[in-house]
Amino acid sequence: MPTVLIADDDIPNRLVLQAILERQGYCVLQADDGVQAVDVFRREHPDLVLMDIKMPNMDGYEATRQIKAMSTDAFIPVIFLTATSDSEGLARCVASGGDDFFTKPYNRILLQARISALLRIRELYNTVQYQRNELDNHQKRFDREKQLAKRLFTNITETGSLGLPYVQSMLSPMSLFSGDILLAAPKPSGGLHVLLGDFTGHGLAAAIGALPVSSVFYGMTAKGYSIAEIVTEINTKLKMILPTDMFLAACVIDLNPGSHTLSVWNGGIPSVVIYGEKEQDIIRSLSPRHLPLGIASDESFNQRVEMIEIRQDDRIYIHSDGITEVANPDGLMFGRQRLEDIFIKNTDSAELFNEIRSELIKFQDGGAQQDDMTMIELRYNQQQLEDTVFHDKAQSKRAEQPSSEWDFSMGLSADLLGCFDPLPLLIQSVCDMQGFRGQRQQLYTVFSELFTNALDHGILNLDSTLKGTADGFAKYYMEREVRLSNLTDGSIKIYVAHQPSAEGGLLTIRVEDTGSGFDYQENQISLESNVGHSGRGIQLLNTICEKIEHMGNGNIVEVTYRWR
Amino acid sequence: MSVTSEVSTDDNTITIKISGRFDFAEQNEFRDCYYDTSPSENTQFIIDMSGANYMDSSALGMLLMMREYLGGNAANISIINCSPDIKNILTVANFQSLFTMD
Repeated sequence: MPTVLIADDDIPNRLVLQAILERQGYCVLQADDGVQAVDVFRREHPDLVLMDIKMPNMDGYEATRQIKAMSTDAFIPVIFLTATSDSEGLARCVASGGDDFFTKPYNRILLQARISALLRIRELYNTVQYQRNELDNHQKRFDREKQLAKRLFTNITETGSLGLPYVQSMLSPMSLFSGDILLAAPKPSGGLHVLLGDFTGHGLAAAIGALPVSSVFYGMTAKGYSIAEIVTEINTKLKMILPTDMFLAACVIDLNPGSHTLSVWNGGIPSVVIYGEKEQDIIRSLSPRHLPLGIASDESFNQRVEMIEIRQDDRIYIHSDGITEVANPDGLMFGRQRLEDIFIKNTDSAELFNEIRSELIKFQDGGAQQDDMTMIELRYNQQQLEDTVFHDKAQSKRAEQPSSEWDFSMGLSADLLGCFDPLPLLIQSVCDMQGFRGQRQQLYTVFSELFTNALDHGILNLDSTLKGTADGFAKYYMEREVRLSNLTDGSIKIYVAHQPSAEGGLLTIRVEDTGSGFDYQENQISLESNVGHSGRGIQLLNTICEKIEHMGNGNIVEVTYRWR
Repeated sequence: MSVTSEVSTDDNTITIKISGRFDFAEQNEFRDCYYDTSPSENTQFIIDMSGANYMDSSALGMLLMMREYLGGNAANISIINCSPDIKNILTVANFQSLFTMD
């Protein structure tokens, strides 16, 4: 039952009140004056106070002020008991913190009604207070967990290599967790893979989806898989785990300094813009060709990649739709046209990225952010791209494997060559057997050059001089695809052997194709002096390998690679 | 800001009209438009966007839910009267490969 404190120096008065209240079932506490009232209040925490005004030692106004000051985080109703009904006196009651007043002589029924009304308010106040505290605690706990999750999320998704000299990027999430992701990883063969993705929705749910995406992206890139294989794998994973109404719009690119090519798979991300350094203008716009990831079934998924030639200092821009959907305070959207205008008006390409960023901020003009905004600029610089070092963490752990003797061979027939890339498997097997501390990238280059030569020239009979011109370049890769899909004859044999040596080992790789070969004695000199597109492969092998030897009628090539 | 549907009994089509913003706030209304219909095999669903001025990616998700509910590849859904902005959002996501669009 609620406890009521009666503060009154008039004993008969108190007894009358006590009788009324106890009959209603309240517990009653009593005080003779203001000082005692404050004291009893502090000790007993009553639920309601009935306060006389004129009392010795401390009057009712002061006692009320002190009681109210003591109970800031709870509502303790104080009802003044007064003989007069002059308005000035009543106003003072309220000013000192009183909640109601009651005029003598006491009407039992009215008094009871006033007390229960105030106690009901007190109950309501306490409930609100309790709920507010609960909410506050939940919020604090949630914030703490979010911060923790955010750190985990950052560790997993940002193990990549943004912060490269030729890359500028902005990620502007609208909540703690971004529904946009931006991943970049150097390839073991040199060059770079980049993924810009935009999940349906924002926040935690979107962020959870980002975890498998980044682990597939980094894992498969490090093992040498192509972007077509990577998007296929991500699509399968997301299709399995995401609900129907959630997907990942994504653009994945492969920047390849060896062949000066840009390969793009774009599913649901606004067009990729190529800005020509020479033209000082947009020279290509690669529109999204595919459904976003996580929608198509394995059978209907389209992994087709577009490949174009890219020239030194050309710039590549990829952005999420949050950029063009930035709204100003009037709700007007930034739109594609304004973005294009920046490219058209620009006079200094080095400043393009900053211009876009500042135009966006200017346009937004303090308006609320509606969506995650992500944009990346890549400047194609062959040297810097080739110098991008590939850190193979998994590999360095196994560095102390003893050098041992082993060999294996692999044969690939025409139907397999058309649909299977053996390079990731080969590199993985070789590195698993031997460790090859930090040499994965070089090994990848060796295997890749040898295999590509055997396939393109030995089996597919492609003419590499085609690649000399921009036009022929695209023709070369189109023709390659056609011939590969129609391939019925031919095979490639790969033989790999390893011999330990005092300081490391000697790796021999022999690749043999069923093609007609070429006159290698005649061509040796011209090949080595050739610095054009087509000769780069042999030149590169010469700098990495100890020995390169052609055999048979030029259809067999054997290289020796020494490692320490 | 509303979704209404009309059932035409003679030629077996159900038309869903979207107006205002087409986003997550419309989720329940939109779903109700096809949930309780009992479509026969050749029922055609038409989503009329003539009154819609904006859609976001959650609306794309809602379209995917509808398509799946109505049988995936077997679903017969057309999206008509799109404004250029709405059309752009749909084609960037290549939804023309899943829905009939004019």
